Order: sequence, then structure tokens, then C-alpha cells
Amino acid sequence: MARTTTSTPQLSWNIRLNKLQRRVAPYVFISPFFILFAVFGLFPIVFSMYLSLQEWNPIQGLGTMRYIGLENYTWLMGDPWFWRSITNTLWIAFASGIPQHLVAIPLAFALSRGIQSFRHPLTAAYFLPYITSAVAIALVFQTIFGTQFGVLNQTLQYLATAPWSAWLFGGLADSLPVNWLGRAPNIKPAISLLVWWQFFGFNVVLYAAGLATIPKDYYEAAQIDGASGRQSFFHITLPLLRPMIFFAVTFTIIGNLQLFDQPFILTDGTGGTGQAGMTVAMYLYRTGFEWLEMGTAAAISWLLFLLIGTLTVIHFFFFGRSGLERRD
Amino acid sequence: MSLPASTLRSAKRDERSGRSPVGQFFLYLALIALALLTLFPFYWMFVLSTHSQSAIFSAPPPLWFGEFLERNFTALQARLPILRNIWNSLYIALMATVATMFFASLAGFAFAMYDFRFKRPLFAFVIGSLMIPPLLGIIPYYLIIQFLGWLDTPRAIWVPGMAGAFGIFLMRQYVASSMPRELMDAGRIDGASEFRIYWNIALPIIRPGLATLGMLTFIGQWNNFLGPLVVLSSRENYTIPVALRTLQGQAATDWGAVLTGTALAVLPLLIIFVLASRQVIEGLVAGSVKG
Amino acid sequence: MKKILALALAASLLAGAALANTTITIGFFDDFESHLNNVLPQFQELYPDVTVETRMLGFGDHHDLLVTNLATGTGAPDVVVLELGFIARFVAEGGLKDLSEAPFNADEYEDLFVDYAWAQGRTPDGRQVAIPTDIAPGTMFYRRDHLEASGWTIEEVTESFDSFIEYGRELQGHGVFLIADAGSVAEALIRANVPAGDGIYFDADGVPQLNSERFLEAARMAQIVREEGLDAQIGAWSSEWFEAFSQGTTAVELSGAWLQGHLQNWMAPETSGLWGASEMPGNTLVSWGGSFWAIPGQTPEANLEAAWNLVRFLTTEPEIQLAAFRTMNAFPAMPATYDDPMFEEELEFLAGQPARLLWASIAERIPGVLTFAGDMIAEEIFGSAMGEILNEGRDVQAALDEAQMLVERRVRR
Repeated sequence: MARTTTSTPQLSWNIRLNKLQRRVAPYVFISPFFILFAVFGLFPIVFSMYLSLQEWNPIQGLGTMRYIGLENYTWLMGDPWFWRSITNTLWIAFASGIPQHLVAIPLAFALSRGIQSFRHPLTAAYFLPYITSAVAIALVFQTIFGTQFGVLNQTLQYLATAPWSAWLFGGLADSLPVNWLGRAPNIKPAISLLVWWQFFGFNVVLYAAGLATIPKDYYEAAQIDGASGRQSFFHITLPLLRPMIFFAVTFTIIGNLQLFDQPFILTDGTGGTGQAGMTVAMYLYRTGFEWLEMGTAAAISWLLFLLIGTLTVIHFFFFGRSGLERRD
Repeated sequence: MSLPASTLRSAKRDERSGRSPVGQFFLYLALIALALLTLFPFYWMFVLSTHSQSAIFSAPPPLWFGEFLERNFTALQARLPILRNIWNSLYIALMATVATMFFASLAGFAFAMYDFRFKRPLFAFVIGSLMIPPLLGIIPYYLIIQFLGWLDTPRAIWVPGMAGAFGIFLMRQYVASSMPRELMDAGRIDGASEFRIYWNIALPIIRPGLATLGMLTFIGQWNNFLGPLVVLSSRENYTIPVALRTLQGQAATDWGAVLTGTALAVLPLLIIFVLASRQVIEGLVAGSVKG
Repeated sequence: MKKILALALAASLLAGAALANTTITIGFFDDFESHLNNVLPQFQELYPDVTVETRMLGFGDHHDLLVTNLATGTGAPDVVVLELGFIARFVAEGGLKDLSEAPFNADEYEDLFVDYAWAQGRTPDGRQVAIPTDIAPGTMFYRRDHLEASGWTIEEVTESFDSFIEYGRELQGHGVFLIADAGSVAEALIRANVPAGDGIYFDADGVPQLNSERFLEAARMAQIVREEGLDAQIGAWSSEWFEAFSQGTTAVELSGAWLQGHLQNWMAPETSGLWGASEMPGNTLVSWGGSFWAIPGQTPEANLEAAWNLVRFLTTEPEIQLAAFRTMNAFPAMPATYDDPMFEEELEFLAGQPARLLWASIAERIPGVLTFAGDMIAEEIFGSAMGEILNEGRDVQAALDEAQMLVERRVRR
């Protein structure tokens, strides 16, 4: 020990340098995000904050904004369509979000521990909706939910009239054909179904990657102790998968509250009967780009930010401690 | 290890846990039924790409491949520089993927393995940046790109997102749950610099997570539509989603050609998925590093 | 052709020197590509010093990107096409050049066009911001086989909307739906009998009219069609819609004249000869679409002359208008073209009916209505109210009162 301290100044310089790089390293490592944010992220935020206090028809150009204080916000507070879009968004976010994870977690577990073969093709199949094009999805869902020729209605029609099933389904005959995408009460379930279908496989892939971090020895040890598959799921997989569950749920919250494509596809961009399928993101887009009230659209975006922020903070408050913990 | 040994081991495991063949059968049945549900529209997309406009919209719709693929592709090529558009998408997606994998894992590594001043607020800031609805950013985004003189260039699209919060958060979680701190100390004792520790120790451990991130980034960038639409202005520079959308007219869209283009555009994604998921599945089978 | 030559001569004499090598960009959506590929070479011949570049996008993207271009003040093409449904978006001051002013003086061309199309490109404060290129006179397509089977004549069907609905009841007995969507009945009726000087949704003073008698009546008619089960409840442009046409499950469709081209080319080519076209019921004269050319406000001074020449070339030349009719089935907005032999052609798809003459005569009689900036949102709110009335059985008066309130809330700001 004494020898090192009395060694050459060159070495102590090295030690100091080493200490410095150790202290500075994390800041350097995270700096790209903040540099890019400063260049590309900051201005849009300031811009939309400023914009939310203005009245602005974008086609008249940047110079035509007019300061109106908080009018955009107070107007939205009294706007029936805005509130409808908030409740729609929350409804769809929960109805599609919770089942996503309830299916994806056991599914990822079953793929990794429950079966010996076809792991790869099955995972691939579940992931496919995530890369299937919106056009194909729209066509398929139209074909399923169509009123006159839709697969679903045709099936119900058959069941209601065929002799072997009429006793059970005959009661349906009067209410057929069902206008699935036209009736307000059916729109949100249809959108939620589409969202669930499109994203559960995405979560399976995330969880599969998370499961790869769990050492195999744990399971083997549990098996030697005579644990069943269910027991290892609840006592090994779930606790150790917590960081990934926390991550995936965070993204479901943030992503589902900004849903745009799926309601747009299923309602043909209109929001559906009684605006029952209009999400906040859709309302934002239409207010800004179709109805050209950019100031109001900016205010919507900040209110949406507030909603997402609140739910995320609640999520972090309850699950952040275990979700962000380290392995050791 | 050799193949027979591993099969022997898994056979033994099955025996121990008392997994019944009936249970296995029903598990497979459920898994395959679910897979059919997700496979079908994807399969159908390819089927439709081989049919004519009126066949696509006939009832019952075609369920098997038709003979229009060649005609559809010819129509597509006549109207779009389609191969050029695919190349543009490929270039942008690859640049974005490589850059994101590097920057996001680096930052995720830092947030997971170090304790430093302001770590919590800085991390909260990263997460917070995700919550800003992106739609309205399109006007200021255009103004920035114009200011930088990057209009109609690929870098206008892949540079802004190359250290995205999604990737940083994913990598942070992945590093935190797979890399023991002792490995950091071991690396330091060996005299490695912090970057070396990241590069030589952390990166190999997080390979499955990195593959997942790379795949998701590639797909996200490949399908990115709004950004390219706004900043790219010449047909030769369009990415594939923008180019295909140019064929969607008021009424007279040649859906056969559009669907052929769509099917063509999804093939690279399939390849990327197969490459990446092999990493993930191998990680699953290997069961990662020892804790 | 003579006129083109004269124009060319004038152009080369007067402007040839001033237009030294100008490059302009023309922005359009998919449907126009074939037409422009066809006629732009002629323009280049007329104006060899002007180079025309193209920007083609999808239908919706073209209009959306134009909003962004105008907002940021850069990037817009020098000449753009606007579809009727979107034109109200762009009538606010500053977005598009006022073509009534010098040096354009577009008003001198007013008489070339059918009245209503000219009025659609005009703002309530009298600025001509867009020049019509094609129009879509509203017409009723009907299946001749169903008509014959019912024993009715087309005059009886179209006498009024009441007889129209009566025809639907008759068809019900034959297991055929009257129409795909009851909503289109309301869409037609609100566009009929608009008081002179008003818009569809707003009166001359900009007061919304959504719960006026015209709207209430339209909604009630549509409600009857729906409640009696006369419509198939099929939305336009769905695969079910196409199917209904090819299988003949619906007997009529209210639409623009352009539907014939789509039916013939890909929607239901096998039904050729089974169709007819007539005026809408009750002498209802409405416009069902159309496109316009315009010059964005940000077009640089140096490009204005070339841009205006291109707009005039595309809109005021009968030859070019007819070329558009031939290549993209775009019905010309210029009555001067209606003498062309093309119009007398007996359309095989419509069982030999010379329907273009009918559409031309409809076009010339459609009264002009004003275009208001609030039209888009009003149309949206009305559509939403109709959805609630038809699909949820909501009371007509209550739904339209609410619609009126929602539109008032927006425009009062």
C-alpha cells in the first residue's frame, strides 16, 4: 500500500484520471439523449406550449397567431366531444391493455418452459399482427364485421336458422343483421379487440426477452424440490420478470392513451356513431389538421400529456420500487 | 453441449415435473389456435397481393393465391421507383437501428449500473419525453429540419430518434435484471475503462434484449410515415410507406398494386424478425448467465 | 385547337422573354397522374421556358401536407389541386392566392364555368381562390332489372322523395333494398333547396342552420328509410358496398356521375347494361364532388405567371377538359365542352343511355351555394348526428339541436 502511494507521479495521475472517467462516464453515456433532445425535442415542446395559448389557423402562416390566454383550455373544459374522447380513450386503454398482459405473460412462460418444439414459429406467429399492414387489417376486419356479408353475421344467421341450432340461437333472428361497426355500443369493444390482437404478440416478445434473463438453474432447483409448473411460474417467473412487466405496462399505458391508427381504421376516420370511437389523439389530429384550430389542438395535446403523466406517475408510485430494482 | 445430452436432460425434466401428455396436447392446441388468429390476416395480405382489384373486393373474398401478382408488380413498377423506395427505407431503418442499439444500450447501461447525482430526475425526464403526443410536433420538426438544411435527406429521419427514450428504458430494465454488479467490479480490477466494461462485458450479456430493441427499432422506422411524408419531397427519396400511399387516390386506388407493394415491404421485416428472435429464443434456451 | 395555337402565339410574343427558364411544381393526388402525364407535354410545348415538376401524393396526404406547407410558409407546390370536400379548409385568408385580383383577374373567366362550381371556389367575402376543373353533378343510378320487376317507371320513382320511399316499400316485397345507406338520402336533401346566397350549413351571415326545417326534413326522410328497413346499412367504399352493386342487392344509389366509371371499370363490370341514370327524386339538384386548381399564397413572385398559365391551361381549355374526361372520367366544369360528340355517346354500361347529356343538363341547373370555412366541422357534426339518429334511434329534433349547439360553439369563437 505504502509503496503505491510513493510511486511515480505518473501513476497517481493515472489513478486520478481513472477516477475522473469513472465519475464522468455515466453522464457521457446518457448525454446523446439529452443532446438530441435539446436539438429536436425542446423546440417542439416550447412551440406547442406557446401555441396552446394562441388562436391559429395554420394555413394562414406562422405570423398570424393571436394570443388568447387560457381560452383554448377553458373552451375544452366545456366541450362535450373532448370529454367523450377522454372517456373513450380510458375505456379502450383498459379494455385492450389489461388483457394484453394477462395473455402475454403466461403465453411467454408457456413458450419458454411448457413446450419443447415449435417455439420459434409460434412466437413468430403471435408477433405477425404487429407487422401486418394497416390496409390488410382494415380489409380483414371489414370482412368480419360487415353487416350484410360479414363473416360474423353470416355465422349468426346460420346458427339462428339451422334446424340443429335454432332452439338455442333462434332468439337472435329478430335482431339480425347486427350493424357491428355502426352501432355506438359496439365500436369500443371492436377497437379494443383490434388493439389487443395487434399488440399481445409484441408483449410476448418483450417477455420472452425478459425470461431469457432468468437463470435456468432456478427452475432446475425448483424442480428438484418438486415444484409444479404453476408454482415455478408464480414463485420464480413472475417475481424475476417484474422489471420487464413494469416496462411493458408503462409502455402500454403511454401507447394506449395515444391510440390513433386502430380507431381511425375501424371508424373510417370519423370517430364512429356518436363519436363513440373517437380517442383523444384522433380528436387532436382532427382539430388541428382537419378543422384547422391548431391552438386548440395544442391545448388538447397538453391535457393529454397531463392524463398520461398522471397515470404513469400512479403506476410508478405503486410499482416503481419493485419494477426499477436491480438484480442484486 | 451435445444434442443428445440436452434432449436427455429435458426428457428427464418432463418426467420429474410429471407433465401429462394430455396437458401438453391441450396446451399445443390452445397455442396453435391463437396462432391461427394472428396468422390469418398476414397470410391474407399475401393472398390479396396476387389478385386483381375486383377480385379483392368480391364475396366471398379469395382465400387462395391468384395469378395477378406479376401484373400487379408491373403496375407498381410502372408508377413508382419501387426498388429505390425500398432501398431508402432499408438505409434509414438500418442507420436508425444501429445508432439506437448503441446509444440506447449505452444510456440504459449507465442508468442501470451507476449511481450518480441527478440520476433520478434525469431518468424521469427521459420517461417524461415519451408522454408528449407526437402529432403536433410535425410543424416544429419541419422547421428544425429546414433550419439544419436537411430537407429531403435520409438523416432528417433517422438522426432525431437515434437515442430514443423507449430504447433507453428497455435497455435499463434489461441490464438491471441481467448484469450482476460483481462483473463491473471485476472489470475495474482488471483495469478496464468504463466504456470497455460496457463494450466487453455488458453488451454480450444483454444480447437478447439488444436484439429485441434492434428489431423493434427497425420495424418502427420501416413503418414510420408522418416524418418522411413531411420532410422528403422527391419521389426518388420517398420511403416505402410514403411511396405506397401515393397510390391511394380519392376513389380509384389500384389495391392490387398497393397490396403487392405492401407484401413486398413486409418481407425485410420478416427477415429481421427471424434474425432477432433467434437471439432471443437462444437466450431463452440457454437461460442466460449464472446469477 | 385553334385557341391553343392562338394562346401559344400570344404567349411566345408577349411573355416569352419574361419567363426565362422558370421551374414550377404542381402538386396533386394519385387520380390526376394519368391526365397530367397526358397533357403536360402540350403545356411544355406552349411554354418551352417553363419546366414543370410534379409532386404526387395519396389523396388524404396531399391535403394534409398542404396544411403543413402553408403553416410553415414553405414547401408547397406552386399549383395545387383541391378536392371539393377539402376546399373549405383552405378558404381562410392568406392560404391561397386571391385570383380575382390583378394580375390574375380570374373573374373574366367566370362565364366559362357552370355557376355552382365557380361559386364553390369563392369565399363568402368574394375572393376567388380556386378555379373549377371537374364537377360531379348528383344523379341517381338505378338497376333497370329491379325497376322492371316492380312494374314502376323511373318517372314515378323520382317524382318526389315520398314516391321514392314508396318504391322502396315495393322493393321490400321483392327482397331488394332500396339503397345502400339511408344517410345518403339526408346528404342529398340538405344540399337541395338551399336558399339563394346561403351555404349548405350556414346562412349568408354565417349563422349555422343545422336545426332548420331543411335539415329536420332531410333527417326525417332518412329515418323513415332506416326504420322501415329499406336500406342495407352499408357504408360507401366498403367491400360490402361493392358487393351490393355486383350482386344487385340494392336498387338505387345517389351519387356523383363519376360512380358510373368505377362501376364499369372495377366495382361491378359484370352488371353492364343493367343500370340506368336519372335525376334525383323530387327534382333535387345537388353537386356530389369536384376538383379545383389553386395557387398557394406562398408561391414566389417569380413563379406566379407560369403558375397562373398552368392553371388556365388546365381549366379554361376545352380540349384539355375533354382530355381529362377521357383519361380520368372527370366531368368537365365548362359548358362549352358539352357540345362535344362525346356527350351524345350512348353508354353501353347504362344500356345505351346517353347519360352524359343528362348530367350536363343537371350541372347547368345546380344553383350556386357559398363555401364557408366552418363547412368541414359542420359536415362532421351533422354526419355524427345522423349516425345517432339512424343507428341509435335518437330523436331527430334533439340530435339536430345538439348539432346546432356544437357548431355554434365552434364558430362563435
